[in-house]
Amino acid sequence: MEEKEKKKHRAKHSGPKAEKKRKRYLNDLGIGDEENARKRNPKAFTVQSAVRMARTFHRTQDLKTKKHHIPVVDRTPLEPPPVVVVVVGPPKVGKSTVIKCLIKNFTRQKLVEIRGPVTIVSGKKRRLTIIECGCDINTMIDLAKVADLVLMLIDASFGFEMETFEFLNICQVHGFPKIMGVLTHLDTFKNNKQLKKTKKKLKHRFWTEVYPGAKLFYLSGMVHGEYQKQEIHNLGRFISVMKFRPLTWQTSHPYVLADRMEELTNPEDVRINPKCDRKISLYGYLRGAHLKNKSQIHMPGVGDFTVSDVSFLPDPCALPEQQKKRSLNEKEKLVYAPLSGVGGIVYDKDAVYIDLGGSHAHEKEEEEVRPNQELVQSLISTHSAIDVKMASSKVSLFMDSTPLGSEDVGQEFVMPKEERQVDLKTGRVRRKAIFEDDEKENDDVASDEEDDQEEEDEEEAESEDGGDGDDENDAEEESERVLLQEGMAVRRAKRLKTEVAQEEAVNELPAFADSDDDLEMSSEEEGETAPEDSEMEEEEEGDVQRTCEDESSGSEFEAANERAESKQCDMDSECTETKPQISEHSPKRKAVLTTDSGNCTAEEASESEDENSSLEEGDDEVGSQEELEAEESNRNGFQRSKAKKADSVRHTKVKTVDTEDDDVENLLREEEEYEEKIDLSADTTGALKWKEDLTQKAAEAFLRQQRSTPNLRKLVYGTAVEDEDQESEDADDELGGLFRVSRPDEASKQKANALDCSKFLVENPQDWDLEEVMSSIRDCFVTGKWEDDKDAAKLLEEDEELYGDFEDLETGVVHKGKAAAGGEQSGSEEEEEEDEKMSKPEPEEEEKKKERMDKKRKLKEMFDTEYDEGDATYFDDLKEEMHKQAQLNRAEFEDQDDETRVQYEGFRPGMYVRIEIENVPCEFVLNFDPHYPIILGGLGNSEGNVGYVQLRLKKHRWYKKILKTRDPLILSLGWRRFQTIPMFYIEDHNGRHRLLKYTPQHMHCGAAFWGPITPQGTGFLAVQSVSGTTPDFRIAATGVVLDLDKSITIVKKLKLTGFPFKIFKNTCFIKGMFNSQLEVAKFEGAAIRSVSGIRGQIKKALRAPVGAFRATFEDKLLMSDIVFVRTWYPVSIPMFYNPVTSLLKPAGEKDSWSGMKTTGQLRYERGIKLKQNKDSLYKPIVREKRHFNKLHIPKALQKALPFKNKPKNLEKKGKTPKDQWRPAVIREPHEKKISALLSALSTVNNYKIKKAKVKHREQLKEYLKVKQKEDEQKFKRQKEAKKKVYRILGQREKKRQKSSLKGSSKGEKSM
Amino acid sequence: MYNFSGFDFLPQHLGLGNAQHLYNFEASFIRLIDKVTNGSRIEINQTGTTLYYQPGLLYGGSLEHDCSPSRGIGYYLESLLCLAPFMKHPLKIVLRGVTNDQVDPSVDVLKATALPLLKKFGIDGESLEIKINRRGMPPKGGGEILFSCPVRKVLQPVQFTDPGKIKRIRGTAYSVRVSPQMANRMVESARGILNKFLPDIYIYTDHMKGANSGKSPGFGMCLTAETINGTILSAELASNPQGQGAAVLPEELGQNCAKLLLEEVYRGGCVDSTNQSLALLLMTLGQRDVSKVLLGPLSPYTIEFLRHLRSFFQIMFKIETKTAEEEHMGGEKVLMTCVGIGFCNLSKTIR
Repeated sequence: MEEKEKKKHRAKHSGPKAEKKRKRYLNDLGIGDEENARKRNPKAFTVQSAVRMARTFHRTQDLKTKKHHIPVVDRTPLEPPPVVVVVVGPPKVGKSTVIKCLIKNFTRQKLVEIRGPVTIVSGKKRRLTIIECGCDINTMIDLAKVADLVLMLIDASFGFEMETFEFLNICQVHGFPKIMGVLTHLDTFKNNKQLKKTKKKLKHRFWTEVYPGAKLFYLSGMVHGEYQKQEIHNLGRFISVMKFRPLTWQTSHPYVLADRMEELTNPEDVRINPKCDRKISLYGYLRGAHLKNKSQIHMPGVGDFTVSDVSFLPDPCALPEQQKKRSLNEKEKLVYAPLSGVGGIVYDKDAVYIDLGGSHAHEKEEEEVRPNQELVQSLISTHSAIDVKMASSKVSLFMDSTPLGSEDVGQEFVMPKEERQVDLKTGRVRRKAIFEDDEKENDDVASDEEDDQEEEDEEEAESEDGGDGDDENDAEEESERVLLQEGMAVRRAKRLKTEVAQEEAVNELPAFADSDDDLEMSSEEEGETAPEDSEMEEEEEGDVQRTCEDESSGSEFEAANERAESKQCDMDSECTETKPQISEHSPKRKAVLTTDSGNCTAEEASESEDENSSLEEGDDEVGSQEELEAEESNRNGFQRSKAKKADSVRHTKVKTVDTEDDDVENLLREEEEYEEKIDLSADTTGALKWKEDLTQKAAEAFLRQQRSTPNLRKLVYGTAVEDEDQESEDADDELGGLFRVSRPDEASKQKANALDCSKFLVENPQDWDLEEVMSSIRDCFVTGKWEDDKDAAKLLEEDEELYGDFEDLETGVVHKGKAAAGGEQSGSEEEEEEDEKMSKPEPEEEEKKKERMDKKRKLKEMFDTEYDEGDATYFDDLKEEMHKQAQLNRAEFEDQDDETRVQYEGFRPGMYVRIEIENVPCEFVLNFDPHYPIILGGLGNSEGNVGYVQLRLKKHRWYKKILKTRDPLILSLGWRRFQTIPMFYIEDHNGRHRLLKYTPQHMHCGAAFWGPITPQGTGFLAVQSVSGTTPDFRIAATGVVLDLDKSITIVKKLKLTGFPFKIFKNTCFIKGMFNSQLEVAKFEGAAIRSVSGIRGQIKKALRAPVGAFRATFEDKLLMSDIVFVRTWYPVSIPMFYNPVTSLLKPAGEKDSWSGMKTTGQLRYERGIKLKQNKDSLYKPIVREKRHFNKLHIPKALQKALPFKNKPKNLEKKGKTPKDQWRPAVIREPHEKKISALLSALSTVNNYKIKKAKVKHREQLKEYLKVKQKEDEQKFKRQKEAKKKVYRILGQREKKRQKSSLKGSSKGEKSM
Repeated sequence: MYNFSGFDFLPQHLGLGNAQHLYNFEASFIRLIDKVTNGSRIEINQTGTTLYYQPGLLYGGSLEHDCSPSRGIGYYLESLLCLAPFMKHPLKIVLRGVTNDQVDPSVDVLKATALPLLKKFGIDGESLEIKINRRGMPPKGGGEILFSCPVRKVLQPVQFTDPGKIKRIRGTAYSVRVSPQMANRMVESARGILNKFLPDIYIYTDHMKGANSGKSPGFGMCLTAETINGTILSAELASNPQGQGAAVLPEELGQNCAKLLLEEVYRGGCVDSTNQSLALLLMTLGQRDVSKVLLGPLSPYTIEFLRHLRSFFQIMFKIETKTAEEEHMGGEKVLMTCVGIGFCNLSKTIR
């Protein structure tokens, strides 16, 4: 039989069975799973050492908390400004190349020369402003303050240079922006190992300076003069994903890194006085905090200024719109760098300019390199709105200016090259052309070119220009509306149409292109009306009107009241007009609605909205009516010009104006006529009468309207807004030069005699006895009705429903909640509800849904509170709070339009702003160099003041010298750089500030100087000079501001010395310390000391030598002693504050600013040798050896002394003569033997004796021990025996006593 | 003269007021300001019509000041309340003068309302207190209070939009140099009115004797209503000063005061009408965050104050009127919103 091959057993490797087996196997081995191990060996898992456990716990907690930063409210705006990337490094390290490469990487454009900041779009949500930082310490300091990210270029072939470390230190002081190192010149290493080594070395050094793990980039070789594409690409990626932690100073101050500068001075003024102060406007992204108009700013290198005007412009380098795209479209990659002459379109406040490239010869060379399609590209890539704007907003200026064109364009675009004086001149020439009459006209003209997106700053908006742009808006929107009305289909053709309009404008140009006056005039006259009067007259009238408007707007207010009825008619008519419009367009354009109906400016749109609504409700509301009128009059004041313009615009642009518009126009005309009348009256009545009881009126109006809907904002700020308008107009008037309205200070507006009291008295108290009045506040009390979600009873019910069910585990009784208990009931209810639902299903359903949602939410909250509580720490709470606040901040003004928003919170960071500044030194403009950064740093409320500032200061450990008190020092503190004279001090234990002559070597000390007030905790650094470069480290000291005050107490030690002239026991007379009795009297009781250390006190003045006094000491003085009193003398701090005005220096010398010199420098320069006091030189101390005489005791005394004390005859014995010496004994050999034997024997004997002694002693010890024992036993025995005896004796005694007692008792008994 | 009560003295501005006359209470006020500041320059011309004030740094410390009896201490205290948190050293000042009068908010009211308000802005601590040592009634005064306030570097933003319901009414009825029974009579009549709304009413009677009672006789009461959210509304009335006007019956005064409180409740808001300006100022001086507060109708003083805030700090408030959604919740409210200017205490020393 053939043996069938049997299947081999296959052990299971997977499945439950295998698992079981494995487990068993492991258990057999004694290595089960973890749980088993825990069970098996519990000791291994217990706490071994409580102390160590506590320590590890502590440590982990420490590490955890160390990671925490103090949470701050995140105030970054939704659309953040571009990130400032500062590229810094020593010369010839490749800064510009890196910038160029980065720009090329992001924009595919090549910039040849980089001047000033370059803004590029780097991603969908990120823009970068890249700026190069030279080695001038001024630039380094300025840029470190505004940097978000620093690219620190390091020449690897050379290693670190001083500039790098200096910049790092500057950064550290002014908040630490993110720092990224970039190693260049790596291609110079031929040896790969060497390269590696260097990289590592540099990296570690960099880490110690920045922080361990700081990113260091390596740019290896160059290709065609550029870095490798991939490396740059990576660098760009790193930059565009980087996150930044907000820096304290930057987030608390608004600042602008200006990327464009323009001069606005009246050319006439410049002609008259070429050195006159200039008016300039600077452009840039606002960063940091909100900027308010009229606030104080500081321009590092120039000085302090007050912002005379701020306006925000459309973003020249906007973020690509939120699109669902992975990457940026090629077209959207934008670059904006007006100082470098890049940017294509330049938006001005009142105009848009297009850079056509070179109209100048010197630009030709650039043009070759600059891609020609850039302009086209930027044109295409801008938003459609800009398109519209461009079209509507007159590229016409461009065309119109063909005769002046080249200059025109040149001026605007050549600006960056302003350092050349030729250009500047052309600028001046051009300005003449435009500014011929006055600024305002220019504005007017220009405003025609304005964009509809373009918006004015608050003031302008409120005054004339609020309309300029916005009325145009109106016009456009109206045209749009017209189109809407005519048919939606036409709407698409709008762009086309605007283009047509533009052409029309061009066509019209000849009509008023010959002079701006004409243009102005034509716009000033209502629409079609031809010029009636001569130009001059018109002009003057305009001026008059404008000036009067200031006054009249108020008087109009009164007049308006008087003419209420007549006005009302107008209103009514207006209303009737507006209503249909509203009904037609209200869903679509609310803004249009308001602007149209009231014909008010967009700025007031929100207000007028309310008004309109109130108007719609009915005109009989007197209060609102009045208000409206007031507003109307306000508006009228500055509206006329707008209206006119709007009209003209309408007529030029919008041909299809329908009847509505005409109506509006008529209205406007009416208003104007009426206003002119008032103007006259205003002139006569005096400008200020109306103001006198303004507040009164306001209050009255307010009280009257307590129950109606008053527009409080207008009530509160209405007048103020108006005031501002007037101010701005005033400025214009000044420019006009004809009229100057002197308005009193705002303060005088207050009622003179009003009682200044915050109590709000009740004018017409309600009768609180009446039931209905009482019921009006019934619910204000806890006893009243509550809202549903807070009503305790309701909540209880709900809770009952939710948590009513529970089971008593002990008794096993199931409790049911009410709702559940009444299940059938509720069921029936539900049924009923369902029935109802049938009839009206939606609301019920929704209600139910809501209820359910509420329940769910509540449950979730409960759950959260139950389970999350363990983790929630104080830190988390704080963070949560901050987060909430940040959200609130963002949400609060979200829905408002920019104009109103700006009013409430100021210009928010991220906006592109134009800042006008007046009284700028002419050198700034004349010596303008775009290579140097222009920073506008906003100052806090009192940071513009000067006072005493106390610092904690430490000399930089790398600075070679120590600093001397009273030597001028240049500090960089806050935004500023300034020279001042610090005094160094140290605080003694008793809080005294003691003056130091020099700073300590390695220790902090205090410093105080007179300079700008800067908030406490601000860091600063000090340099000795900002001019030139020194091989040594330039930063002299760093520190922090501690305190600000108006007075300061630094004292220096002053010792007054005197000499004793008569000494009694412990008293002595001292002279020479004071000069009069009075002085002594002042110091009575003061502690004095002698040089030898004997302490004393001044007692009283003496009469004899003037200024001498009696003093007592703890010991007797010597005549040779010098006595001194230690006093403290207050030191005054020199009031020297000298801002470093490096930007005012001529080009090329900007790094050579030098201020006050130190005495040392002066001495060195003039070759004056310091004459030293010989006494204060240190000489080696030579001490003579002291010689003491012998003690001499008189003979008589010697006799009297006892022998012991008598001086002995201590004369030494003389040497014994030789003959008296004893002879030495010389032994025979036999004798020697004997003596040796004897000595040996005696030694043996001695030993024996010693041994015997020891033995004997031991025996004795033993014997004593035994004896002691015996004694003890004996003693014991004796004791026992004694005890026995005594006991017997005692018993016997007792017996005897007993018997005696018996006997006696017997005796008694017997007795 | 309109005194820029307080805020122009914040050390950044140069207040230039036009005065028609300089009353002695204003002179006293200026002296007080001089005391609490260091390095301020005050120039008043010969006729006392113009005042030039260049503010110094707020110094604080332990001070004493005799206020002019023509105005109540409240007049001085109000501005001190604005300034005290921004001193260099914590302020501890003894003010002497008229504690309660008919014109100014009395010390009792400020103690009951302003201090809790300050606490909302993060100014709290043990040392924030007003202590009335002696009461003084007009015309002669003789009262004495101790006001102490800690120092803060920055203020917290507040969101204070829900006043909540009134849970208790407290108050003080005081009488000096008149029969102690007066106070009880006032309490009785006030309770009569207020009990219709709320049972939890307790009005302390405060009868001062001897040296503590000042120099003139008088009586009055102040009432405060506290809500569950910590809002405190107040009302007060005082008797006519001795020798001026007719004598007032305490019952009548009590009733009127209670009605005033009801009026205040009707106005509502999260801040007492007296302290509106204080709240707004502290909001303005907060960090650069949004602060919100719900007020009752704005008083003319507050409106004026808002204008000043605008002219000094370029701060505009967003003002929204809110109608009470429910019927019986009193009059209309105003929701004031602003972004703080990011003020920080420049006087405080850091170590």
